[in-house]
Amino acid sequence: MIAVERRLTQPRWLTYVIPFVSVAVAFGIMAVVLLATGHDPGRTYRRLFDAAFHGSAAWTDTVTLATPLIFTGLAAAVAFRMQLFNIGAEGQLYIGAICAAGAAIWLGPDHALTLTILAMCVCGAAGAALWALIAGVLRAFARTNEIITTLMLNYVAGLLLTYMIFDSASPWRDVSTVQTRSFPQSVALKPSQFWPTVTVFGVSVSFGFLLAIGVAVALWVLFRVTRFGFEMNVIGDSQRAARYSGMRTRRKILAVMAISGAVAGLGGASQIGDFSHVLDASPQGLQGAAYGYTGIVVAALGRYNPFAVFLVGVLVGGLQNAGLFLQGADFPIGLVGVIQGIILFCVLGGELLVRYRVRLGRRPVAAVETS
Amino acid sequence: MVNDSLVVEILTQAVVYGTPILFAALGELLAERSGVLNLGVEGMMLVGAAMGFWGMQRAPGSDATALTLAVLTAAFAGLVMALVFAILVISLRANQIVSGLALTIFAGGLGLSSYLGNDLGLADVPAKHQFGDIDVFGLKDTPVVGPILFHQSALVYLSWALTVLIALYLSRTRLGLNVRAVGENPAAADAMGINVTLYRYAHVLAGGALAGIGGACYSLAITPGWTDGDSLVGGAGWIAIALVIFSFWRPELCLVGAYLFGGLAGGVPAAIQAHNPDIPAFFKTSEFLNSLPYLMTILVLVMVSTSFARRRIGAPAALGVPYVREER
Amino acid sequence: MQGITKRFPGVLANDAVDFEAAAGEVHALLGENGAGKSTLSNILTGLYRPDEGAISIYGEPAHFDSPSDAIDAGIGMVHQHFRLVAPFTVAENIILGEHRPEARSFVVHPRRIERHVAGLGERYGLAVHPRARVWQLSVGEQQRVEILKALYREARILILDEPTAVLTPQESEALFGTLRAMAREGRTVIFISHKLHEVKAVADRVTVLRGGRNVATLTAAEATPRELAALMVGREIELAKRVERAMPPGETAGLFVEGLGVRGDRGEEAIRNVTLTVREGEILGVAGVAGNGQRELAEAITGMRPLSRGSVRVGARELRTGDPRAAIAAGIAHVPEDRLGTGVAAGLSIAENSVLKSYRHRGISHGPILNWGMIREVARDLIRRYAVATPGPNLRARDLSGGNLQKLVLGREFSSAPKVLIAASPTRGLDVGAIETVHAYLREAAESGVAVLLISEDLDEIRALADRIVVIYEGELSGDFDPETATVEEIGLAMAGGERG
Repeated sequence: MIAVERRLTQPRWLTYVIPFVSVAVAFGIMAVVLLATGHDPGRTYRRLFDAAFHGSAAWTDTVTLATPLIFTGLAAAVAFRMQLFNIGAEGQLYIGAICAAGAAIWLGPDHALTLTILAMCVCGAAGAALWALIAGVLRAFARTNEIITTLMLNYVAGLLLTYMIFDSASPWRDVSTVQTRSFPQSVALKPSQFWPTVTVFGVSVSFGFLLAIGVAVALWVLFRVTRFGFEMNVIGDSQRAARYSGMRTRRKILAVMAISGAVAGLGGASQIGDFSHVLDASPQGLQGAAYGYTGIVVAALGRYNPFAVFLVGVLVGGLQNAGLFLQGADFPIGLVGVIQGIILFCVLGGELLVRYRVRLGRRPVAAVETS
Repeated sequence: MVNDSLVVEILTQAVVYGTPILFAALGELLAERSGVLNLGVEGMMLVGAAMGFWGMQRAPGSDATALTLAVLTAAFAGLVMALVFAILVISLRANQIVSGLALTIFAGGLGLSSYLGNDLGLADVPAKHQFGDIDVFGLKDTPVVGPILFHQSALVYLSWALTVLIALYLSRTRLGLNVRAVGENPAAADAMGINVTLYRYAHVLAGGALAGIGGACYSLAITPGWTDGDSLVGGAGWIAIALVIFSFWRPELCLVGAYLFGGLAGGVPAAIQAHNPDIPAFFKTSEFLNSLPYLMTILVLVMVSTSFARRRIGAPAALGVPYVREER
Repeated sequence: MQGITKRFPGVLANDAVDFEAAAGEVHALLGENGAGKSTLSNILTGLYRPDEGAISIYGEPAHFDSPSDAIDAGIGMVHQHFRLVAPFTVAENIILGEHRPEARSFVVHPRRIERHVAGLGERYGLAVHPRARVWQLSVGEQQRVEILKALYREARILILDEPTAVLTPQESEALFGTLRAMAREGRTVIFISHKLHEVKAVADRVTVLRGGRNVATLTAAEATPRELAALMVGREIELAKRVERAMPPGETAGLFVEGLGVRGDRGEEAIRNVTLTVREGEILGVAGVAGNGQRELAEAITGMRPLSRGSVRVGARELRTGDPRAAIAAGIAHVPEDRLGTGVAAGLSIAENSVLKSYRHRGISHGPILNWGMIREVARDLIRRYAVATPGPNLRARDLSGGNLQKLVLGREFSSAPKVLIAASPTRGLDVGAIETVHAYLREAAESGVAVLLISEDLDEIRALADRIVVIYEGELSGDFDPETATVEEIGLAMAGGERG
């Protein structure tokens, strides 16, 4: 008989050790799977690592892929910390991209880059925040489950994105040449509008990446040092205690949803400004990348701590980079998802051990029982 | 001839495209009725699609045998995926949302389904068998309803049978009553001697099997064939999740909704193109029409959240909450 | 049941209890909270396993591993908190589950079941419409459904746990009729209560439990209310240690509550027309058995629950009700009944919990930024002054022992220099040393002019601390006792409903 009982005390060290153990277990399981399918685990892991983290070219690509994941991971972390399950980072990112691209297009290429970046970030964050607030208002005032509303809004956002480029004559659409009129695409940013990159040890680090670091730090400060963050922690821990101490829960819900959306929106802005320079509404573009959903997973692995989320974002970005790079006959792209999935499963399953203790064997009948 | 008209064509296609969504939605409905929210539907469908195709290629025998085996393979594949999720969420009490997303990533277009598809060499392979349309009772040429109702593939008819069975199961049988209790008030169900864990496992696994069959609809009938990535199923899993809510967790409404969603995807825009009614262009775009199911779901959800409605037509009250029995 | 003993960490809930009930009788199980009635009945229904002792049903020894076994043996229980599925119909709720009687049909035949249910209802005077949905029913009707559930399973022994707690007097009368009818049929009805007049009204025999022991079994006809109350509450063996006050209570009212009406969780009237005054520096003790409105009273005064009627005044100013922040700002401190779930955020540290209410004050935060150094100071100060045993302020609140947690909560509330202190069951579950400490702090608060409202189920505690005692029963206050002169019997009588019959 396997008995699962709640632990009476939760030693702090357990919270840190178990995730690492879980990841180790995951790699172990993965190794078994690889062996079973005729791949050499040691070599595979080596190749993955090299493709992701060996050399400045690898790092550049890893940073590129990690940037949006960090944004969406932070966005999810903000909300999930307070038990607000915002899974709408995907849609909020699209909206952010739309607004940021719109700002850049409207401003045009003749302004200072600083202004352009500022406008793109502000518009991207604000638009996405408003999008997230739709679900926030419904949750705060109509007690509507935010999981489903944010999920639905993701679809609507995706369709909006597609509409902008493919089905309308919106300002986002480039109608300047015959070619662009027949094969719809968005107005491209001019080179003067591209966000800058910084070269660190030969690695090309995008501005968005640095922005993401900044956001992570800002969030950390928010959580640890401000009254706002304190209230978030209390509400996330115990709604009754929050009410008992006079905290205003509804306002918090709105604020947190807005912040969560804004961060995802910055991710969208970064996609436009740093990487694609164009609003890519095709299925191979933003909508195929699943940054939002992957971000939630990143947040969960990072236990909603901003710095951990940042690190996990880099790691997952690396993994995805490696997968793309190695893709070929002997390294199926599917392995990326499988590895990520196994790691997640192990970490999620390991969580149990933090809160509960597993006992094997029969319980003696005459023992004193805990109540 | 009326049967060649656009309307009939649209409705026929609505049934075809709505069927995989219906299978997946019925499966998710069962899981949610027992109180478990499984967001991994898309992943399960993709794996089902891949394994179903594989099963079909490898199965011996006639069309019918091979296809039956293929469907069973797909169902089994979906069930195995759901098993991983179930262990995490029911026995290990992990967060259902994150676990469901993990399953989608694990099994999805960049994950297991892609791995299996490529490893088993399923891409660009012509289908040995595929589901053809059956002429039921020889009625396929009846005006209007002929093509829509009497000339569809076996999968469509299977989905109808399942809808009826599941509806009866939930409303008329003791087991169905028990599972509804598990989803509403697991503590009460437990007190009445119902094994909450067992019911949840059973229904989540059944959900996985049905999602697998839904995925197989694409690889065995609609496409047919297997392609890498997400596009094979194209988001149907997510639509199915929305559909369950939109249909107030009722199987019969799932059927209607599935065809509605399926039809909106392709049929209605074409009809509007052809007839061009006098409404602003925006509302005629396929994007707007495609967004309607999601917007309507949100509306439905808000309505259901008010306590007036919640008691009458609401979600299973214990949806998403792991059940922990008090210790003795 | 013979020699039943059951231990939980820190408490001996049942101490070698012998209990027997005969077929065809209504047997009342009387006792205060903590006397062991619930534990005993939980053992009988298979929820707990006894550490020692044996059970036999109709002469056959019985051993229950789970509630299912008990149900199969013919024991049915109607709990205080119903286990009903709200959206289901009455009929669906009744047939739910895996027990007999009818062939466990695969298919549900609604009309047949409805007929059966209606038939049962008529026989026992438990009329409910089988097709009504449970959420539409009144509490009394819901209880009838619970009873029908047991009858449907042909329970030979029926246990009801404080059934009248949620009923109106008329509904209670109807219930008694039903119970007597069932007893006449040869069933055994065990009726758990703390209300004397009910016991007299419906029971054939009464068993009184106190402190985990069976202290007496009498015929209901013979026992007088006074006698029963005395047995329930115990003689004045432990002399209440009253301490001379250094400063008598002031004259001005610190807290004035008038005409309070409060609705409970189920929409029932938990508090009916309560008026009370607590003077500055006075400790007003509100005695009563749990479930008579104490929680709702505390929550209403502290703003956690809205009022349906009446007003609350602190000093001269009327309080905006339904808003905890207003109450806190007015100087009301609250030590809640549920310290772990409400009084602290259990997963957060002691330091964070120390400033749960005061984090906005100048010094502890500068504008939007918290001053963690200051917060830790505050925490360390609390830990020191109130002797909270902990390695440091970073320990999670959940990891504190009960006594230390309570000291923390109390300390935090006292340090806010309140004008009014509402303390609800402050020493529940604490060991003797911690109890002493808490009592000392309560006295200290009173001495410094705080109006203290002490709500407690522990009569000894109230008698030791309070300057005045009132009793709460079914949402109303009764009695204004002087602890120096009132006898335990008098107060106990009031707690159990007085001499009404």
